[in-house]
Amino acid sequence: MGLFHKTADALGDKLNEKLAWDLDEAAVMADDAVAFSLAGFRPEDAERGGYSNYSYWRATLRAFFRNKTAVFFLALMGVTLLFTFIQPLLPNQKDPLLVHYGEWGLPLNNVPPNDEFWFGTNSIGQDLWSRIWAGTRTSLFIGFSVAVVEAVVGILAGVLWGYVRKLDFFFTELYNVLDNIPQTLLLILISYIMKPGVDTIIFALSLTGWLGMARFIRNQIIIIRDRDYNLASRCLGVPTGRIIFRNLLPYLVSVITMRMALAIPNAIGSEVFVTYIGIGLPVSIPSLGNLIQTGRSLMQMAVLRYQLIFPVAVLAVITISFYIIGNSFADAADPKNHVN
Amino acid sequence: MPETREKLLQVQDLTVTFGSRRHPFTAVDRVSFDIYKGETFGLVGESGSGKTTIGRAIIRVNPVAGGTIRYKGEVISGRVSRATDRRIIRNIQMVFQDPMASLNERAKVDYIVSEGLYSIHKHMPEAERKERVAKALSDVGLLPEFASRFPHEFSGGQRQRIGIARALIMEPEFIVADEPISALDVSIRAQVLNLMSQLQKERGLTYLFIAHDLSVVRFISDRIGVIYRGQLMELAESEQLFAHPLHPYTRALLSAIPMPDPIREREKKLIVYDPSQHGYTPADPPLWEELEPGHFVRGSQRELDEYRKMLL
Amino acid sequence: MKENVILSFEDLDIRFTLRGQVLNAIRGISLDVYKGESLAIVGESGSGKSVLAKSSMGLLDANGTIAGGHIWYDDKDLAAFKTEKQWLSVRGSQIAMVMQDPMTSLNPLKTVGAQIEEAVRLHQGLRGAEAKQAAVQALADVGISDPETRYKQYPHEFSGGMRQRVVIAIAMACRPKILICDEPTTALDVTIQAQILELIRDLQKKLELTTIYITHDLGVVANVADRIAVMYAGDIVEVGGCDEVFYDPRHPYTWALLSSLPQLGVKGQDLYSIKGTPPNLFYEVKGDAFAPRNPWALKIDFFKRPPYFDVTDTHRARTWLLDPRAPKVEPPEHIRQLRERGGVGPYA
Repeated sequence: MGLFHKTADALGDKLNEKLAWDLDEAAVMADDAVAFSLAGFRPEDAERGGYSNYSYWRATLRAFFRNKTAVFFLALMGVTLLFTFIQPLLPNQKDPLLVHYGEWGLPLNNVPPNDEFWFGTNSIGQDLWSRIWAGTRTSLFIGFSVAVVEAVVGILAGVLWGYVRKLDFFFTELYNVLDNIPQTLLLILISYIMKPGVDTIIFALSLTGWLGMARFIRNQIIIIRDRDYNLASRCLGVPTGRIIFRNLLPYLVSVITMRMALAIPNAIGSEVFVTYIGIGLPVSIPSLGNLIQTGRSLMQMAVLRYQLIFPVAVLAVITISFYIIGNSFADAADPKNHVN
Repeated sequence: MPETREKLLQVQDLTVTFGSRRHPFTAVDRVSFDIYKGETFGLVGESGSGKTTIGRAIIRVNPVAGGTIRYKGEVISGRVSRATDRRIIRNIQMVFQDPMASLNERAKVDYIVSEGLYSIHKHMPEAERKERVAKALSDVGLLPEFASRFPHEFSGGQRQRIGIARALIMEPEFIVADEPISALDVSIRAQVLNLMSQLQKERGLTYLFIAHDLSVVRFISDRIGVIYRGQLMELAESEQLFAHPLHPYTRALLSAIPMPDPIREREKKLIVYDPSQHGYTPADPPLWEELEPGHFVRGSQRELDEYRKMLL
Repeated sequence: MKENVILSFEDLDIRFTLRGQVLNAIRGISLDVYKGESLAIVGESGSGKSVLAKSSMGLLDANGTIAGGHIWYDDKDLAAFKTEKQWLSVRGSQIAMVMQDPMTSLNPLKTVGAQIEEAVRLHQGLRGAEAKQAAVQALADVGISDPETRYKQYPHEFSGGMRQRVVIAIAMACRPKILICDEPTTALDVTIQAQILELIRDLQKKLELTTIYITHDLGVVANVADRIAVMYAGDIVEVGGCDEVFYDPRHPYTWALLSSLPQLGVKGQDLYSIKGTPPNLFYEVKGDAFAPRNPWALKIDFFKRPPYFDVTDTHRARTWLLDPRAPKVEPPEHIRQLRERGGVGPYA
C-alpha cells in the first residue's frame, strides 16, 4: 500500500517540476527585472496540467488493501486454502479413509482430540483431522465448479437476455418455468436418477444455480444498455459481441465478483443441505457436508460435540472470508470509491 | 443562392413517436428541413422540444414513425441494406452532450478512439492503427501520449475532444453534434467550439448543431431552425434570424440571451412566450411558409401577414 | 465585524481527504458579504465555489474539514461549530440554499403545499389555516399562477422552472437573511433561466435579502450581481463591483473568462479560449495557480503567490501584473471593447 502512495507522490512531484518548466527559482527571484518579465506560454504544458495518475485496477487494489478487515480475511482464507492443498503432502498425515485400530484390535472410535488424533476420531475410528481437510478439498472443488458454471452460463444468458431485445420474451418465459420448479424436488429427482458423487452434486446444483445470476446480470445490463457511451459504440458500427465484452461486462466487474464470491459458500452450503436431507455424498467421500451431518447427529452428547465443532468452524471461516472479501472487493472495484 | 448548393441531408415530414401504441407521445411532428453540404445547421429549442430526438433519428438510434430522411438523395430512415448501413456509419457520426457519460470509463483512450476503426477496417495493422489514433488525438489538440490513459483522468473539455477524435477517425462528412458544449464549463466551451469550426474549415465537414442556447448557435451556425414542442417555428440564415426574428418564440429566446454587459442587461426586456397566444382554429390553421428567401415561419394566414409587414 | 458585513470569511482553508490523499479545496480565502447585497461567486468546476458556500451552512461532505480560518456570522464563528444542533440554528432560518437540480431538494411523495407549510410552521410558527394561507401566499410570491390549485399538486406535476420556483418558495418561507443560490439555473432552459434570475433579483430587492449566486457562467450574472468574486483553484483571484469586473477586469483569468463567452464571438473568427485544464489540487500549488495556462504569466508567477493589489476601494485582484514593477500588457480585444462600452476608457 505504501508503495502506491510513494509512486503517486513521485509522479506528482514530477508534474509540478514540469509545470515550473525550466525556470530556476533562485535566479528568477534574485532579480526583479527577470521576475517581472513575461514567461512565455506553451499550450502543451497547459494541456498537461491537472492530471491524477489514475489507473482503474491500481485504484481498486489500493482501495481494497486499505480495508484492514478484508486484508485479514484474505490472508486467513489464503492460508486455509494453501493448507488444504498441502496438508496431504505434510509428514505424519493419516489417510482420511483409514480406520484406526487400538492394541486390542478394536477400532479407536470416538477418541477425543489428543496428541495422536488432533481433532479426535469419528464413530468408526477414522482420523477427523485428515477427514476435515479432505472434506474441505471436496467442498471447495464443488463450490468453485458450481460458481464457475453459474458465472459462465449465468453471465452469457443474462447478457443475451438483457441486451438482445428479441430474446427477452424467450428468456423471461424460460426463467419463469425453471424458477417455479422447487429446487429440493429437483435435487431429490437427480439423486435418484444418477449415482451419488461429486459430479452429480455439481450437476444438480448448477442446473438451476445460474438462473439467479442470469436475472441479476440482465437487470444490470438493462440499466446501462442505453447509456451514451453504448449509443456511441453503436453509431461507430461496433458489433454486439464487442459491445458486450468491451462496454458492458467491464462495468459489471464489481457486482459479478461480489456474486461469485457469494456463490462459492452458497454451493458449499447447498452441499451441506443436500447431505442433510440424505441424498448427498456417501461417507466414503468426505466432505464438509457429510462431516457436519455426522457431527449434528451426535450433538446431544457433550463429549462428542468436537465432531461437529471442527467442521463447522472450517465452514464458517470459508463462508465469512468469501463474504467479506467479495463485499470489500465489490466496493473497491466501484470507481465511485476511487480518488478521481 | 441556396438552391444551387448540394443538399447533403433532407429531412421530410419527420415524425417520431414514443410510448405504447395505445398511448403514443409525438416527440417530433412533421419536421422538414435540408442541410447543405459544408454548412452548419443549428437546431435550437428547449429541453423536451424534440431536437435531440431528431439528431438521434438521423443516426438511426430512434426509429422513425413517419416521413423520410435522405442522405445524398438516398433514404436512410427505416430498413436499409447492409451496404447502405456501412456507408452511413462511415459518413455520419455523432458528438454527444455529456462527456462524462459518452466515453467508456473502463477502456483506454486508445481503444475508445479507434473503436470505429475495428469495425470498418477489420485487418488494419496495429502500427497503422496506433498512428491513426495519435493523429486523431493531435488533430483535436490532445497529446498522443494520452492514448494510454483512462477517461477518468481528463477534464470535461478534454473528454469532449476525445469524443470528437473518436468521430473524426471515421473521416465522416456529416456530424450530428448534440449539445456538445452545454455540459461543459463556460471557460472550456470556447475550446470545443473553436475546434469544431477549425475542423469544418479544414475538412469541409457538415454539422447539425443541436443546442438550447441561441448565442452559441449564432456563433457557429450558418442557418438556424427554432423548434418548439416537436414542431419547427422558424428557420432562417443566422443573421437574418437575429436581425428579423418573426415568431414570438424566437423573440422570447433572443430576449433571454444573457449578455456580459451590465448596462445593456439593466435595460433588457424579457419576452415570455405563451403558445396559447396564437389562437389557432381549424379554420385558421398554422402554415409553414417562406416569407423571404430562405426564411420560413410557422403561423396562421393572419399571423403570416403581420410577419410580412414586419419584414418591410 | 465591520458594519454592514453580514457574513465574513477570514483566511479560510478547507481540505478534503479522499482515500488518504489531501485536496486543498479552499486555500486561504478572505471575503466579506455585505448586508442586502447580491454577490456572485464565479468559477469553473473544481474551483471551490460550491465548497465555499456550503461551508457557511455546515454542509461540507463528511471527508471535508475546515483546516483553518473563520466564518463570521452574527458574531459567531461558524467555522468552530461542532454539532448538528449548532448548525440547525443557522441553516434555513438564517442562511438558506437553492440547489442546481430542483428535483433533489423536493420530496416527490409530498404535495408542494405540504412542503412549504412545513417550513412555514417551523420558521414562522404559524398553525392550521394560517399556515396554509402563508404557504399559498409563498407560492404566489414566487410567481406561480393559480397557487390554490398548485398547492395541492406533487412536484412531478410541475415543469423544471416551476419546481425551481417552489424550491425558492420553500427557502423563502424560512425567512432567511441570506439566500445562497448554487447554479440555480444551470439545469433550466434559457428562457426559464432569465425568469428565475429576475425572480430572485426581485425578491432580494423587496425583502432586503442578501443573495449569493454561485455559477460557472460569468455571462448570466451581469444583471443580478452587485459584486462579483472570481474564483480559481480554491482562491479568489479578483473581486469587485459588477461594473468594475465587467468593464475593467484586471486578472488574466477574468479576461479569459469574459473573452471566451460565445455571446461576444464573431462568426468565422476563433473565440478566445483558455488552454489546458485547472491544476490538480491534490498537489500543492506553487505561485499563481493560473500561471501554466496564462499567456501573460510572469516568471515570478511560478514561484511566488501574488498578494491582492487594490484597483479601487472596492476592487482588488491577485495578480503580479498589478505590481508597479510588472510590464504593461495588452488585454485581449474583447476586454478593450468592454472597457470602452463601460466608459472606463482605454487601458492604462
